Amino acid sequence: MNSTRRFIGRIGSAFALCTLLLCGSARAANLSYVFQNQTLMFTHIARTAAGSALGVDDPAFRSLLKSLGATLTWHPGERYVLISTPQPLVINFAVGSKSYDVGLLSANASFAPFLQGQEAFLPLDDLLHSLGLTSRSDGSVNVLQPQLTSVDIKGSGNQAVVVAHAAMPLHPRLAVNEPSRLVYVFDGVASSIDGIRQVNVGGIRLLKIISSGSVRRPSTTIEVDLAPNARHGAPRSNDGDFEVAFGGSGGAPPLVNANVAANPQPPSPSVAPAPVNPPAAGATVSAVTVTPSNGGETVTIAMSGNATYDWHRLRPPDNRFWIDIHGAQLEGGNKDEAQPDPLTSLRIRQNDAQTVRVALSLSGPKSISVSPSANGILINIGNTDAFDVAREGSGTVGNVVSANEPQPLITPVPADEYGQVSNESAWKFGPQSSYVPTNPRLIVLDPGHGGGDRGSVHDGMQEAVLTLDMARRVEALLIARGWQVKMTHNGDHDVHGTPRSKAEAEAMGYTSPDAFDLQARDDIANAAGARLFVSIHANAFMNSGPNGTTYYYYTPQSLPFAQEMEQDLDAADLGTKDDGVHKVKYYVVAHANMPAILIETAFLTNPFDRERLASSSWRQHIAEAIADGIDQYARAHPVGQAQ
Amino acid sequence: MKASRLLLLLVVLVVVAGAAWWFLRPRPVVSDHLTVYYTKLDGNSLGTWTVSLRPPQPGESAAEHLHNVALYAAVQSIAGPPSEVSAIRFPPGTHVLNVLVNGSTATVDLSKDVAASAGGSFAENGEFKGLVYTLTGISPINAVQITIEGRKVETLPGGHLELDTPLHRSDW
Ligand SMILES: [Zn+2]
Repeated sequence: MNSTRRFIGRIGSAFALCTLLLCGSARAANLSYVFQNQTLMFTHIARTAAGSALGVDDPAFRSLLKSLGATLTWHPGERYVLISTPQPLVINFAVGSKSYDVGLLSANASFAPFLQGQEAFLPLDDLLHSLGLTSRSDGSVNVLQPQLTSVDIKGSGNQAVVVAHAAMPLHPRLAVNEPSRLVYVFDGVASSIDGIRQVNVGGIRLLKIISSGSVRRPSTTIEVDLAPNARHGAPRSNDGDFEVAFGGSGGAPPLVNANVAANPQPPSPSVAPAPVNPPAAGATVSAVTVTPSNGGETVTIAMSGNATYDWHRLRPPDNRFWIDIHGAQLEGGNKDEAQPDPLTSLRIRQNDAQTVRVALSLSGPKSISVSPSANGILINIGNTDAFDVAREGSGTVGNVVSANEPQPLITPVPADEYGQVSNESAWKFGPQSSYVPTNPRLIVLDPGHGGGDRGSVHDGMQEAVLTLDMARRVEALLIARGWQVKMTHNGDHDVHGTPRSKAEAEAMGYTSPDAFDLQARDDIANAAGARLFVSIHANAFMNSGPNGTTYYYYTPQSLPFAQEMEQDLDAADLGTKDDGVHKVKYYVVAHANMPAILIETAFLTNPFDRERLASSSWRQHIAEAIADGIDQYARAHPVGQAQ
Repeated sequence: MKASRLLLLLVVLVVVAGAAWWFLRPRPVVSDHLTVYYTKLDGNSLGTWTVSLRPPQPGESAAEHLHNVALYAAVQSIAGPPSEVSAIRFPPGTHVLNVLVNGSTATVDLSKDVAASAGGSFAENGEFKGLVYTLTGISPINAVQITIEGRKVETLPGGHLELDTPLHRSDW
């Protein structure tokens, strides 16, 4: 902590000095803006010759972030000032660095963020821009207008969804609702992406984005021209984005030929950015490959050495993109290739002695992200259309860092080390467990949740009710087959173990003694020396997609039990998808001494699965399969032999 | 004559050995990017995306740089991949309050919004798998302790995944 403080002090005074000497006098002053008809008075302002800077602790700035649904993470001494927006988008400003990131895109600010005292100050104009806000002057007043930042059309053929995104949650009103024309109005939102777009997907023929209104009361209209018989859903809000679904067959043939011009050589950028730190050693571009990914494509530029790059794209309907890699040599000569949709062609050139250019032509205004990777540069081309996207960006590959501090710092662990076994083994028991049940005829059943914990609740159906019902059915079957059964709870209530005082709980960092509910369930099985432990659950998700039955285990001795259970439930033909056996550190299976599994029987949130969970005959069916699994496993793994 | 040739040979050998050491010496890697993991909608497999890092500043110690990178990694992981990517995501509003790195363990303190999970182990498992893989991709971090508003919890309220001890990649 001391060194952190020293660090702040050093950097802080360095920047204060810089601000005073180079950037003119730094003096505090207020700046006021009108935002959503309210006045925001920024008081943590430092003026520099390159523009105004805003302190991250400014109360008006914090309330602005709150109204945007954004959160800011920064503490004194930290380098990165991180803002997360609901989109989701992470905006990253770094103290001492002009370069900042908005999502996957990098840009250069007018000056680097700096520290003044204990507070980080950010370049105000760039900060507002990164948040999707534009400052407009209305006489003597500055107005912050939230911008409509993108309108995407997702889908193909007869289905389409229009998604509009702005810096603020969008609340449209439907101003015109005619069979051939819909007009949505977004009050209070400005747009810099006005235009008309030929669509011809999902019954949409044209999409028009028109901004109007005054500086103080901007307004943006999205007009959708529909083909005959086109259908549309009601607009809905998805994390503040505006979404409407459309259906219908195409539209008129395209008015604008979206195909690429015959000579796809992009014009030189009007402002050719000089390469920063041209690396002496230079880089080699050894290969450019295209692979399909998520409906889009990934262009991988394989490189060795250090280089800087900048990229540019033209405005639709000209859907060309190019990236210039400075200080690089092309191996293997120029190349022209036709490519499948969404990429239509790929050109690779040694553009001049020091620059390799990779130019892409796209079938539409597709979303593109560019990022450096361990072996070069990755260009991800999405399969959705993006209306307003960054038109240029830049970055570095290799170790183009300031030449004088080759400090060691972060070594990424290779991404393929999935499942690596850590040295600090967390096993309670090794694979050759010596667990011997003191009560080999006892099975402990754990109905998931109960009491104050309802588990997943969806449309009136409660996990806690279902799991207790299924566990009771298994209990009856097992008893009929000669087993002893202990339920962790046989009524709809919490499971409290050894009472612990509030003080003891807090000393251990817990909020309350109730926090020991799951350990109490394991305590019951462990104290009784049970043969096996089975926890029964029902799954859920925020949408209806995921479905199926999943088997979880944690200790190695539990794996054969989970596999046996999977086989028996598969054989019972329950109708649900088999989502497999997975190792996860779920509390109840991690702390049971005996072979222990947790079965997620089906998803409450999936209509197909839900119908099954709602049926008492299906619950009886799965209960029989679980009892069979216990019988089969016990028969194949007699007590006293290796589990 | 013979002695001077031997000497020359010796000098050449020393120079060659020195050069070989220089080129082959183990060099620490300064990474300018970070791999962020997320769990796909099958509930199990992982996807990644990459974000760039700023080069360390003069005067920024290794520990400070590690802290900055770990905090950035946690914020990116909680925010999740771009919206067009299908991923298991943390509940809206979940944000990182702080990250502390102590030895090989990173403690990630989350806002209580994380408790508003959609229920079911599916989301919970996917959320934390991505976060733990992201942070343990940063050397020397190999374990992640989760706290909520500064407090340890057994699991999320109504949850399944054990959170009261640090999580490792080997827990999956
Ligand atoms: Zn559950």
